[in-house]
Amino acid sequence: MLGKELKVGIGDMKFAKGDTTVITYALGSCVGITFYDPVARMGALLHVLLPTRSNPADINVYKYADPGIQETIRKLTMSGMMKSRMIVKIAGGAKMFELSGKSDFGNIGQRNVDTVKRILAAQGLRISAEDTGGNFARTMVLDVATGTVVIRGAGRKEKIL
Amino acid sequence: MRIKSYEDMNLQDLDVMKEIGNIGTAHAAGALSRMIQKDIRISIPCVNVQGYDEAVSHIGDIEELVGATLVKMEGDVEGLMLLLFKLDFANTVLNGLLGKEYNSFEEMGELEYSALLEVGNIIICSYINAFAQLTGMKIDLSVPGFTVNMLGGILTVPITELGNDKLMFFNADFVMDEQRLPDWLLMLPDIESLNHIMARLGVL
Repeated sequence: MLGKELKVGIGDMKFAKGDTTVITYALGSCVGITFYDPVARMGALLHVLLPTRSNPADINVYKYADPGIQETIRKLTMSGMMKSRMIVKIAGGAKMFELSGKSDFGNIGQRNVDTVKRILAAQGLRISAEDTGGNFARTMVLDVATGTVVIRGAGRKEKIL
Repeated sequence: MRIKSYEDMNLQDLDVMKEIGNIGTAHAAGALSRMIQKDIRISIPCVNVQGYDEAVSHIGDIEELVGATLVKMEGDVEGLMLLLFKLDFANTVLNGLLGKEYNSFEEMGELEYSALLEVGNIIICSYINAFAQLTGMKIDLSVPGFTVNMLGGILTVPITELGNDKLMFFNADFVMDEQRLPDWLLMLPDIESLNHIMARLGVL
């Protein structure tokens, strides 16, 4: 692979321009969101763990869909990406464990996906592709040179979003 | 002093957890040995409190497929227990139970998964029994759940479910069939329960 690779941890966001891939590994119930501007050839990947921030003192906003998405968009538009050109794709939100008799357990993935969709819609952004739900972890890779997003699911073939 | 995070545990607290790990691991190894009819020796378990990134790289590769049995604790202690099966450990256990060899998790099916789920459940239960006897606390365990999934995805489960930034895990080597197979058991009480445990053990 040419260019460099930027790793996005949990509750983290990275953006890049040009010949770079941005990657986040093993999204379980977490959700990965890629933002790509084909004209500026810039892209970003945000990895959120939880739907909303319950403790306002927590300074790591990227852990939460709300306000992580708003903060990401603010940073990206300041850095030259245009919101009207953004192509947004999401992946993750799996249910990793099923505990019988505890139906409320492990629904965080679905809640994450719902919240991500709600916030993106409120920001006027359309999701152009998604690979969410199910019961398996996913690695998400954004190639900033081309805008291609690749998903590697646990024990599954690669999939292009 | 009230503990606010696993990180706030001092050396003495960690010694208590290590002792719990010691007894729990011995019970678990005994139960496993009877189940798979193999001699098992164990090393002294270590107790670790680490953040997500550190724990992942300590245990394996972030995208590595591992099996995991998960049980929810309720009662005097609330939280999760999570037992991880790396491939070599899973293979040795399944070899004892089913007499077959496996080179990957993909070669396994429902039968193997349910065998691992049960073995994980038995290890967790013998551990919790030892713990309950030692502390006099009453802990109810849920029906177990099982997955084969990426290590990194599995380890985010306690972080999202409990809101803990840190993970506490016991690690001992199980020596079976002349191999040293590390066992990874995560004990994840919520913070309030951790305070109950420490108070009960007279540390605080």
